[in-house]
Amino acid sequence: MMGKGMKYAILLTGLFVVLVLAACSNGSSANTDGTETANADSKSTETKNTDSETASETTNSEEKLIVYTNSNGDGRGEWIVEEAKNAGFNIEIVGAGGGDATNRLISEKANPVADVVFGLNHMFFEQLQAEEVLTPYEPAWASEIEEGINDPENYYHGLVKQALVLSYNPEFVNEADAPENYLDLANNEEFAGIYQARDDLGSATAKVIVASILAQFEDTNGELGISDEGWETIARYYENGVQIPEGEDYFTIFASGDAPIGTMISGELAAKQEQYGTEPAFLHPEVGTPQVVESIAIVDGTEQLELAQEFVDWYGSAEVQGAFAAEFNAMPANLEAQDQVTDFQKEIFADVKAQDIDWAFVTENIDAWVEKLELEIF
Amino acid sequence: MDTLKNRWNKWNPVTILLSFFIIWFVFAFLVFPNVNTIYETFFGTGTFSLEPVEKLLRSDRAVQSVLNSILLAIILVFTVNIVGISLVLFTNYFDIKGASILKLSYFSTLVYGGVALNLGYKLVYGKNSPLTDFLTQINPNWDGNWFSGLFAVGFVMTFACTSNHMLFLSSALRNVDYQTIEAAKNLGASQITILKNVVLPTLKPTLFALTIITFLTGLSATSAPLVFGGKEFETITPMILTFANSSSSKDLATVLALVLGIVTIIVLTFMLRSEQKGNYISISKTKTTLVKQKINNKTVNILVHIIAYILFIIYTMPVLAIIIYSFTDAMAISSGFITWDSFTIDNYLLTFSSLEAVRPYLISLGYGFAGSFLVVAFCLLCAYLMKKYNNRLTRTLDFMLMIPWFLPSTLIAVGLTVTFNTNQWVVLNQVFTGTLWLLLIGYIIVNIPFTLRITKSTFFGINQEIEDAAKNLGANAFYTFIKVLLPIILPSIMGIYSLNFIGILPDYDLTVFLYHPLYEPLGITIMNATGNSASADTKALNLVYTVILVILNTMILTAVYGNLRFRKRKKV
Repeated sequence: MMGKGMKYAILLTGLFVVLVLAACSNGSSANTDGTETANADSKSTETKNTDSETASETTNSEEKLIVYTNSNGDGRGEWIVEEAKNAGFNIEIVGAGGGDATNRLISEKANPVADVVFGLNHMFFEQLQAEEVLTPYEPAWASEIEEGINDPENYYHGLVKQALVLSYNPEFVNEADAPENYLDLANNEEFAGIYQARDDLGSATAKVIVASILAQFEDTNGELGISDEGWETIARYYENGVQIPEGEDYFTIFASGDAPIGTMISGELAAKQEQYGTEPAFLHPEVGTPQVVESIAIVDGTEQLELAQEFVDWYGSAEVQGAFAAEFNAMPANLEAQDQVTDFQKEIFADVKAQDIDWAFVTENIDAWVEKLELEIF
Repeated sequence: MDTLKNRWNKWNPVTILLSFFIIWFVFAFLVFPNVNTIYETFFGTGTFSLEPVEKLLRSDRAVQSVLNSILLAIILVFTVNIVGISLVLFTNYFDIKGASILKLSYFSTLVYGGVALNLGYKLVYGKNSPLTDFLTQINPNWDGNWFSGLFAVGFVMTFACTSNHMLFLSSALRNVDYQTIEAAKNLGASQITILKNVVLPTLKPTLFALTIITFLTGLSATSAPLVFGGKEFETITPMILTFANSSSSKDLATVLALVLGIVTIIVLTFMLRSEQKGNYISISKTKTTLVKQKINNKTVNILVHIIAYILFIIYTMPVLAIIIYSFTDAMAISSGFITWDSFTIDNYLLTFSSLEAVRPYLISLGYGFAGSFLVVAFCLLCAYLMKKYNNRLTRTLDFMLMIPWFLPSTLIAVGLTVTFNTNQWVVLNQVFTGTLWLLLIGYIIVNIPFTLRITKSTFFGINQEIEDAAKNLGANAFYTFIKVLLPIILPSIMGIYSLNFIGILPDYDLTVFLYHPLYEPLGITIMNATGNSASADTKALNLVYTVILVILNTMILTAVYGNLRFRKRKKV
């Protein structure tokens, strides 16, 4: 405790010296200006003081769980905090995109801030596991999850399923002219310029689509485990596709007809449809539709391991996941929660057949693939 | 007497203490974390490896992007300086009718930037914009995607990057001694000669700094090339950002960043040499304020008016578009087509759904206020020492302080967290990760280069005689600084202060790595509401946040800058 106090004392003194020096310099620049600037400066010292006070308070409290997630937009974060409070958990949500949250966790490895992380897809969790950021724990509900989703070594467990459904906008594309699958888009000239080929490879969605295409060309002798044909196909896929302009949204150009064939994300569809009044028609390729699973895990080195475990037990339970699914139109991985799924989601998943992707192979290679795409193919 | 005093100054304990503070700060926060990152790149595997360099050289796209970035930087140096100088002359030097309205629109780039600004230009010139519709109606062969590539990027950035000219060149111009202009007039010099030989040379230190800044802005351009560049004009920073976010490709990001760094150092070395060679006419000592010049030649006068108002239109349209479209629904925004039914205030209601929504604003304002203040204070100190003791040490310091300019903020942030999440001897064994301080330090670091350049140029624009006079009257260095130097440079300093402040408010790239979990800054809130994972109407919300930021920034500017000018006017 003394160490903490000392730390702030030292830092505050340092800051204070700078502030005082600067305050003096401003204050005496001209008499008429003096009062105002001096006021402003004392205010800044004040904010600093209160900030650091509250900071030490919160670090002292033992009961707060810090939860990292990328799944806090659209009021989800508030909902989870509220529900957790009712269940007796005091949690604080730290929101960041999947890639950013992963990077943050890795860079904080030596002295973790987070206790629990959830919402990222399994590619990120594989990376976290490889970097030894996670600690294994088997939650009470682990057996209720669909087969093949949980990490066999118990590092992370599934919460929500997302299907990345290839779709077309029936206002602009006839059913007869619709493509069969991603490869069809790449190989068939008639689709050139009307389908979306997302090149924002920092995002999970774009990476999963790349994985879905390349995984069909696995070849141990090929470059980075992919056959030449695979590389040619994906090069054509990007060559003929439309990239989503910066600052715009995949659904915007889907709805406007600029690129009326694209990948829909099951969990976002309800809200998007309502806003744009566009109803996508789904395609069900023979090879299957790539699915990603958002999972939950405990961060290695947490000082509140037991509390974190209790939280995971609670949050992944059929009851909570069911309520979440009903509220936010999600598809829970917990089988016992699936009776609360909205009809809308049920409809999306009704005909979806999961694509069989070797995720171990993908996570091992995806960064190298992205590198090759960025450097040689785009 | 004089030498004695100098010697005393040289060994002034305060100076020594401050110098040690600077050396420690630079080492602990600029060199230590970043050199770590660079070291890992080349020695990550234990042996020196040039593999990332080879990889990049093999990639046509990477090489082309680097060349594009440099090309853009060179083009911008010319276009931004031409437009920027024109703006400043139109508002402060020539007598133009309606100058105060013009000024308002020329200042607009100060209150919005980045993706928001590009969105504004896109709404005006983009594929579905009314302007493009109009052009296709006149000429059916007109390409709907006409506004893209190098031309579009150059166009947008030319007008987007004049903020610094409006702030710092204006204040330099106001410091021109009107008597020199009068004298030249009496000697029979023409208006153009006066402008060329009397006014512009006085502005040289500021123009130097602005040129460096413009060059580097072009070099590291991100959002404009992403929005308007298309496939045919890609620049290097977006690629760096992609690689910086992937754990196994970080080495590529670092190498590319180093390339930018080397170009920066070359340009800087060249510029600093000119800066030191420069022989400047000083600012006025007798406080004769500049009188606006009426252009004598009638045709030129009309022409200048026309240009001024065309610029007015160019500057106003994107802001207006953002404000108007922020009140419309998603369909209107994406199609560009507005009907009466399109108007709604739902976008705004969504943003302020609860009182909690105000908290991030307060946190970011706090950080902006403190961070910007500290960085300005720090750079004032450095610039002052650099001017006073021009030796190898201070010149090295100058380069060291430029480090944050060429490293992308993602890498700086990762360097900071990785370095300071264990006890480090360099900061007395403190752990910074997970505290409020780390983000503050981050904000200070990334704003140092820009702040320093402007501060330095302002300092170098001051006549040495003024300082000498104060000293001859017996004032010590500290007193001289406070009473004599600071008041002269205050307008520029306030300008940097508010620009840094405005820059900190919506920052995401750096913030996301460093923020304290319990204190969510605005940039994070905006990203959560409008980013990839959000399903709400992201484009409309983006516009709403832009409008809110425009209002906030205008308030900051008027509080800091407007107030200052108001006081000045009172004094006159």
